[in-house]
Amino acid sequence: MTDEQFFERLRNDAASLRYEPGSFALARIRARIREQIEQRPTVVQLLARWFRPLTAALTAIAIAAAIAVAAIDTGDNTIDEPGVEIVMAGDSYSVGQ
Amino acid sequence: MESERELIERAQSGDTGAYDVLVSHYSRRVLSITWGIVRNAHDAEDLAQEAFVKAYQSIGRFRSEEPFGPWIFRITTNLALDALKHRKRIRHEEISDQEPAARRDSTDLQARTNELARRIDEALEELPEMQRVVARLHLVEQFGHREIAGMTGLSEGTIRSHLSHARAKLRETLADLYGGGDD
Repeated sequence: MTDEQFFERLRNDAASLRYEPGSFALARIRARIREQIEQRPTVVQLLARWFRPLTAALTAIAIAAAIAVAAIDTGDNTIDEPGVEIVMAGDSYSVGQ
Repeated sequence: MESERELIERAQSGDTGAYDVLVSHYSRRVLSITWGIVRNAHDAEDLAQEAFVKAYQSIGRFRSEEPFGPWIFRITTNLALDALKHRKRIRHEEISDQEPAARRDSTDLQARTNELARRIDEALEELPEMQRVVARLHLVEQFGHREIAGMTGLSEGTIRSHLSHARAKLRETLADLYGGGDD
């Protein structure tokens, strides 16, 4: 008998070793799983569910506002850049306006 | 009869009844996999339960067109292998203390009374850990190389290597039942 033939025969014979849980054990597992996945959320979990999107929205608004303010500031600087005033012998001259 | 895809989609929208149907369909196999790895009825039940709960918690990310089986088997195998690593010392104590009682009420009693099955079971238990796990998944659970690779996260080459070493040792151990070398 070759190694492959031995392994095939062994595979046929070993199939009977599969664990066969009783119906009671299976029902118990199903009940425990059901209990866990149907568990009502705690107050903390409920609050977290409400606050998470709220916090995310407020953060997004704050970031957008900060970006907008920065953009406006930058715009002001480029448009209304003041000129340089030079005073010489009592006369004043403006440069760059 | 609803298709598996429909059940998954319903479970994804929060229908626990649909998920219960999936659990009833796969629990026998999942339990058999966990038991084969940890060899303790109590731990096997805990792990099967943990695997199904974990799968439910992330079912929203699961692609409903994929089969549920390979996914739940992968989660199951990973949890059982982790448990094996972390509970190795405890497991040995539990097996020696509880195994006969734990197995008495299972229907594998029939297998235990079968001399051939008993010898194969003992030979499998003598293998080094990963060889034993891979050999059990292949020989007892009847999974193919690719399926085992997917479940364990090992490459197909590594699976073949484990099986090759396991085969050599099993052939030696079970020589009186199956004959020795090539003839």
